Amino acid sequence: MADSSEPGPAPATTTPIALARQSGLRAGLVARDERALVELIELATPWLLGLVQGMLRDQDEAEEVVAQVFATAWDRVGTLGDEHETIMPWLLRIARNRAIDRLRRRARLRRKAMRVEAYETAGPTSVLFREPDEAAQPGWHVHGSVHEALGALPEEQRAVVRLAYFAGLTHSEIAQELGIPMGTVKTRLRLAFDKLRTALAPLRNWVR
Amino acid sequence: MTPHDWYVEHRTAWVARSLEPKEEQLFADHLRRCEECRVEIALLERDLGWLPMGATPSAPRPGLTREIADRVLRRRATWRHHAPALAAAAALVITAGLAGVEYRRRAAAEALLADRDRRLAALTDTLSVIRSAVRVVHHDISMDGHRGGLLIFLDETSHRWNVVVHGLPAPPPGSVYQFWFVTESGMVKSVELPMDGSRPAFATVPMPRKAATIMGAALTVEPMPAASDQPRGREIAHVNL
Repeated sequence: MADSSEPGPAPATTTPIALARQSGLRAGLVARDERALVELIELATPWLLGLVQGMLRDQDEAEEVVAQVFATAWDRVGTLGDEHETIMPWLLRIARNRAIDRLRRRARLRRKAMRVEAYETAGPTSVLFREPDEAAQPGWHVHGSVHEALGALPEEQRAVVRLAYFAGLTHSEIAQELGIPMGTVKTRLRLAFDKLRTALAPLRNWVR
Repeated sequence: MTPHDWYVEHRTAWVARSLEPKEEQLFADHLRRCEECRVEIALLERDLGWLPMGATPSAPRPGLTREIADRVLRRRATWRHHAPALAAAAALVITAGLAGVEYRRRAAAEALLADRDRRLAALTDTLSVIRSAVRVVHHDISMDGHRGGLLIFLDETSHRWNVVVHGLPAPPPGSVYQFWFVTESGMVKSVELPMDGSRPAFATVPMPRKAATIMGAALTVEPMPAASDQPRGREIAHVNL
């Protein structure tokens, strides 16, 4: 079974979608424009769902989290600080935090062991983009850029990022799962994030 | 390595949320106090904001996005739906509150009016006694260098007297001015007349029913408590009718 949530290589032929929606959604939400909310839900749900589903491994729970994310966004968009801050990373951050909160409420070790087992069974190279028309998904060019950045990391760093960022494991859990010292986990994570920071910096606003 | 260096080294772990729960709490406490770390964390979150897009998107099942939109907006709709009832409830609470306030104000006003009515009735009664008085008797009093007097309005129709004492000092400590009827059968105790030395004392007193004939009145300074039915103190005024 392919793991749809783990970061994988970018497709060889990804046509970046020229997205027209460079601004206005945030302003629409602030203005309580329901059409802006609906548009945002249409655009962002696949990405939020993919992220949260990959972390929680439970479709119903993932849908619940995604709905909560939009409810939070609708309620709190006015508190979104910097006017230049884009709305999509904000939604992703909320979604990820909610997912991690849920993960940590669970019987974590058992669940995470199962997740890692599944990952090891499937293997990172088996992560494929299964639906040929996904490249038409708005935001796909961002996805491609992130994959490119992740792909440029050394494998040992990428593995740590994957477990920390996309599976929600803590340092000690990663160390246990990979069988390496915790200090090594921290170092790898820090080095990886330094590189990712640089690599992702050119990404510009997709949904504002 | 300073304690702050630990936080600097773990900023990325904070953003990744890979800190252990206790460390995460420690970091959260630190962030509340450290502006530098808050700024750096904000920059890190901004720079890594798109990283979650590394997860492969998942096509939502048919109808999910509509359900989510309905759900988010229904909360508003629910609010709107209940708004009239909530407004009515709020209005009821406010009305009840105002009614309570109004009730208290009204009760206070009624008490004030009742007090005024009592005072007016007493004044009217006093005036009626004065107006219908068949005799007015005045007796000068000299006491401890003060010159005052006892003024009595006799209303034999209502069998009441209006008694005014004026110009006298406050009674000595531990004593009180006591008014007496003088009757054929002896002295009949009436009322105490409070005097503070600054203004006259007034009293409307009923005539004693047992006494066949009232021959006069007296004013004494009685030691307190003036429990005795007979005068024991100093008599400062004696009026014969």
